[in-house]
Amino acid sequence: MSDNRLDVDTLVVGGGIAGMQASLDLADQGYQVALVERDPSIGGKMIGLSKVFPTLDCCSCITTPKMAAVAHHDNIPLLTYSEVESVASNKNGFVAQVLRKPRYVQEEDCTGCRSCELVCPIDLPDDENEFGRTSHRVIYVPFTTAVPQTALIDLDHCIYCGKCIKACPPDAIDFTQQPEHLEIEAKTIVLATGYEVTPYDAKKEYGAGKLGNVIDALMMERLLAPTGPYGRVLRPSDGKQPDSIAYVQCAGSRDLTLGVSYCSRVCCMYAIKQAMLLSGALPMADITIYYMDIRTFGKGYEQFYQNAKTMGIEFVKGKVARITEDENQNPVVRVELIDENSRVAERTHDLVVLSVGMLPGWNPQATFGVPVAEAGFIQIPDCNVSPTVTTQPGIYATGTAAGPMDIVDTIMTAGAAAAEAAAYMQNHKEQEPAVPEAAPAMRDKRSTVHA
Amino acid sequence: MPDTTGEPVPAEKGQVQPQSASPDEEPRIGVYVCHCGDNIGDVVDCEQTAEALGKLGNVVVSRSYIFMCSDPGQKLITDDIKEKGVNRVVVGACSMFLHEQTFRQAVSRAGLNPYLYYHIGLREQDSWVHHECPEEATEKAIRLMSAGVAKARLMRPLEPVRLEAAKHALVIGGGVAGLRAALDMARRGLKVTLVEKTHFLGGRTAQWEHVFPTDEDARTLLRGLIEKVLAEPNITIHTGAEVVAAKGYVGDFQIRIRQQPRGVSDDFEAVEQAIAACPVEVPDEFDYGLTTRKAIYRPYEECTPAGVVIDWEHCTRCEKCLEFSNNGGIRLDDAPHEFEINVGAMVVATGFRPYEPPQGELGYGEFPEVITLPQLERILASDGPTGGRLEWNGHPIRNLAMIHCVGSRQIEGVHKPQPDGNVNDYCSRVCCTATLSAANQIREYFPDVNIFDVYEDIRTYGRGHEDYYLQASENRITFLRYVAEETPEGVKAQKGDQQPRLGRVKDHLTWGEEIELPVDLVVLAVGVMPSPVDDLVVVFKISPGHDRFLLEVHPKLRPVETAVTGIVLAGAAQGPMNIQESCAAAGAAASKVEGLLSQGRVELEPYVAQVDPERCQGTGECVRVCPQEDAIHLETFSVSGREVQRAVVTPANCNGCGVCVSACPNRAIDVQGWRLDDYEAMVDALTAEIPALEGVV
Amino acid sequence: MTAKERDEAKKQTEMLAALRKQHSDQVKQAQALLKEQQNVRKTLRGAMKAGPRTVPQLAEATGLPSAEVLWQVTAMKKYGLVIEEGLNEDYEYYLYALSEEVKR
Repeated sequence: MSDNRLDVDTLVVGGGIAGMQASLDLADQGYQVALVERDPSIGGKMIGLSKVFPTLDCCSCITTPKMAAVAHHDNIPLLTYSEVESVASNKNGFVAQVLRKPRYVQEEDCTGCRSCELVCPIDLPDDENEFGRTSHRVIYVPFTTAVPQTALIDLDHCIYCGKCIKACPPDAIDFTQQPEHLEIEAKTIVLATGYEVTPYDAKKEYGAGKLGNVIDALMMERLLAPTGPYGRVLRPSDGKQPDSIAYVQCAGSRDLTLGVSYCSRVCCMYAIKQAMLLSGALPMADITIYYMDIRTFGKGYEQFYQNAKTMGIEFVKGKVARITEDENQNPVVRVELIDENSRVAERTHDLVVLSVGMLPGWNPQATFGVPVAEAGFIQIPDCNVSPTVTTQPGIYATGTAAGPMDIVDTIMTAGAAAAEAAAYMQNHKEQEPAVPEAAPAMRDKRSTVHA
Repeated sequence: MPDTTGEPVPAEKGQVQPQSASPDEEPRIGVYVCHCGDNIGDVVDCEQTAEALGKLGNVVVSRSYIFMCSDPGQKLITDDIKEKGVNRVVVGACSMFLHEQTFRQAVSRAGLNPYLYYHIGLREQDSWVHHECPEEATEKAIRLMSAGVAKARLMRPLEPVRLEAAKHALVIGGGVAGLRAALDMARRGLKVTLVEKTHFLGGRTAQWEHVFPTDEDARTLLRGLIEKVLAEPNITIHTGAEVVAAKGYVGDFQIRIRQQPRGVSDDFEAVEQAIAACPVEVPDEFDYGLTTRKAIYRPYEECTPAGVVIDWEHCTRCEKCLEFSNNGGIRLDDAPHEFEINVGAMVVATGFRPYEPPQGELGYGEFPEVITLPQLERILASDGPTGGRLEWNGHPIRNLAMIHCVGSRQIEGVHKPQPDGNVNDYCSRVCCTATLSAANQIREYFPDVNIFDVYEDIRTYGRGHEDYYLQASENRITFLRYVAEETPEGVKAQKGDQQPRLGRVKDHLTWGEEIELPVDLVVLAVGVMPSPVDDLVVVFKISPGHDRFLLEVHPKLRPVETAVTGIVLAGAAQGPMNIQESCAAAGAAASKVEGLLSQGRVELEPYVAQVDPERCQGTGECVRVCPQEDAIHLETFSVSGREVQRAVVTPANCNGCGVCVSACPNRAIDVQGWRLDDYEAMVDALTAEIPALEGVV
Repeated sequence: MTAKERDEAKKQTEMLAALRKQHSDQVKQAQALLKEQQNVRKTLRGAMKAGPRTVPQLAEATGLPSAEVLWQVTAMKKYGLVIEEGLNEDYEYYLYALSEEVKR
């Protein structure tokens, strides 16, 4: 690897669970994999979660070892805080131009000791990791378990006071850093660009993000995580420990008014999981889930749902029409109670969680020439038999870039994408010697059937 | 008199060499207590635990950290190894099942032998089970970890058993998952043998007409996949074949396969005459018993392999078909044959079977007008019993009720249990979309048919699935919703009624009113159950879960692996999956096998029996008690001119169970890494007065 | 400090000054943010001097919106300036107090 060129077998775009797993699956087979992640740390959305269904493993216990495995794998050059700007094809595959964004901190020297962070005088809302619920300094390490443990500076809010320079033991701070460009040549590409959730201000019936105690489920994941902003579950308007928490299902899925007709697959399970965790954290709290259909379809999921029912979590069939708030900023949910003769009721809670849906994270059409289909997820022409193969030969899609799915299914498709990419490269390797006379013989040879 | 001179006995090939324990090396132990977020930290006082352990002898550093398994956590260990000279590592964290590998890799990265690390489970063994009593849990954590420290003092470097691996995989099952896994592995250059129990490839997919979410023709889909598999020279297929015995380990499994003969040669031409001549009629499983077939048959016309076969179970050997045999085209005296293959890994893709409702469930088996969804699919199929016309017992269907969750989401005490005493308490995942897909298809082809859809929750979860639900509403399919305990009933019609059968349902979409549906056909959307694999479970020592599907090690960390290294799962053998999900799982399985075998060698744990040749007196007790095949045997050695017998271990076959250790009268055997001395030291430490506990608890 | 070190320190000061000049508009905004933050923190510290307080109590004492108070207290807690001291009498709100570090 020269300074601005990298030759690999596969370029994996996105360092969430899908990209990490695909990288590991390929690297374990001996392929060289460049993993490019836009954010300063790998881990994706998953590293921000509290616990994961249906095993209730702590999420960090599943994610951080994979992050470490990626970071230390001999076959995986890892490029964080980097973006693929353009891709061209050549006879060997693809050439990608990658922008390495400046951190203003030397990645090789920084040890992640946070001395800089402690002396930096300005606190900024941590929008990337904590939905603004807590803060980071202008110079900061993204989060406790970030990989790499490298600080970065938000120059837009820096006053150049120089305190960090004085505090940094290895002298890693470098205000003169410039964006760098790297060329990556790869035979195959795996797109693992993930999802975004429904913006929590999307729906005006639900307060359009203006109600202080209506949050989305990813925020609740942070409140439930041991590394979360408050270290416990408090409602954001005034720090009250909530006694009554409600979930509004399908808040962004199966909703034609938002142009989203599909089911996001994960919301029923994450709501049930959060409800279970909440009843552990706040044993006195009442927890209600307003739903249309409970879709606990995966392995062990229905049993998980039934357990939640026996734990006393209230499941109410009904579509929430509107959320308002009372004079104490308590959210008021207006709902048609289908099991009570479709009576319309208004119920007041301390905190409402919107079970927001999954939207495509990124459109790869312009950069990779890979078209998206309905709803903006990557088009998979032969989706039944080849669920990771895009319209572009040599480019594969895995995880939520190809449609909503949970972590278990994501890990499966990551393995499948790795298998496809590996097979493609094997096939091309065999063709490379280009012995023309051998080709027909190959074609004649078929599998042996002993019937 | 037995020889006790104890000349060194040459080690056999593959034998683990006893590690030089670097006896001069003073143990410098690093102790790390993981909070596991709040899993351990909320109960066990991790700081106090670390502090107490820091006072034990040989412990040079003792720390606690929120996530030891994270990169910064691992860095604490690797830095201490490099900077503080730590040469033994004890981690107290989750179960070793989860992260032993993680920490081994970390320790190894820092240049230390990976087996100089020991893992104590503080989560499953302590904080989770004692969350009511944090003080005692903290004491227990200290005791458990001090036992770990005691073991660490005695740990020696070990090397894994390294073996050649056959770059050859076995796939069990020729449905979409098995075909897809075989293809993925073969394309990567692995040799693949696929065995299919029936005489035909394609599995359950062949019995379906259209498949969601593409509405493509299932046979076309299947043909495409089978064509690719047949075009792959690395794949060998055996139909009518099943695994009858297996031994060995990852990299070197010896598999015995029994193959039933077809009884009919490939070039046999008088197919139709032979079938017509056969007097035997049995229910046709391909049509789910809606029709019958002969004892010489093929499931459908364009099946692969293309020929007909003899159903040996039902053939009466009447020889009527032999009239058309034409020089041995049909051979009724063919016998099954058995053969062995040697493979490095296996993919179990044994698939599913539809739930068969017991007699009387919603009228099934009592009223002929109550059928299952797979049966309806056969009725809708152009090559099915009615040629695709929607009719039953000669009557056209005008009104149809489809009932979801039959044999799924069952409740103990409400539903009749399976023979093993369990109910199917899981969701079968595929039936909602399959039901609505069939319903829409009916409304499209037979617009006059009224359809009632009786459900609890509609679970059209996947990409494109919800469109079937929306379409169904547009198609004016009537939805009625029941709640779990009030399952609908199939009841008999009043005399003189036009429609012979009724479904009765308490509909919660219309204020809990009890409604009787006058319909001609009731279709039960039956759930998915694993194909019977009891025999494979025994042969391979893999485990089914509570739901009877085969169990993975961990749904996220090792989602396709079984507890037996080298045996992986693909498709609906593991749990309900649709075609797309089965193919993805097959790809993941193929990737896993590739990762295991692509280097041509595998590594096994070094925890195997080890004979001390100086103490062994060749009594052979160990050989007698060993439950494994070929794991330990006696060999004759010449020592100082005398012939003596000594026990010799074949590490690859030893599973480290330790039975031989207890049987040896001379204490000449130990399990590497788990020596009797280790246990004694650990037990002593567990029960010792620990000075460090003073002032802690 | 050696002459060389002095020289480097001087260079660094000059570099920072040049950067501040180069990004003057943005620096001005950031400085304003810092000043505002310092004022808010001072008010909050004042309100906590008498003992542990809940978020609504701090909001009432300082006139700041309660959500803003929670954010500030959370930020101060993250960097060790504030500690949490259990629930109030009604078991509804947590109490926050200045850490020893700040008191000193």
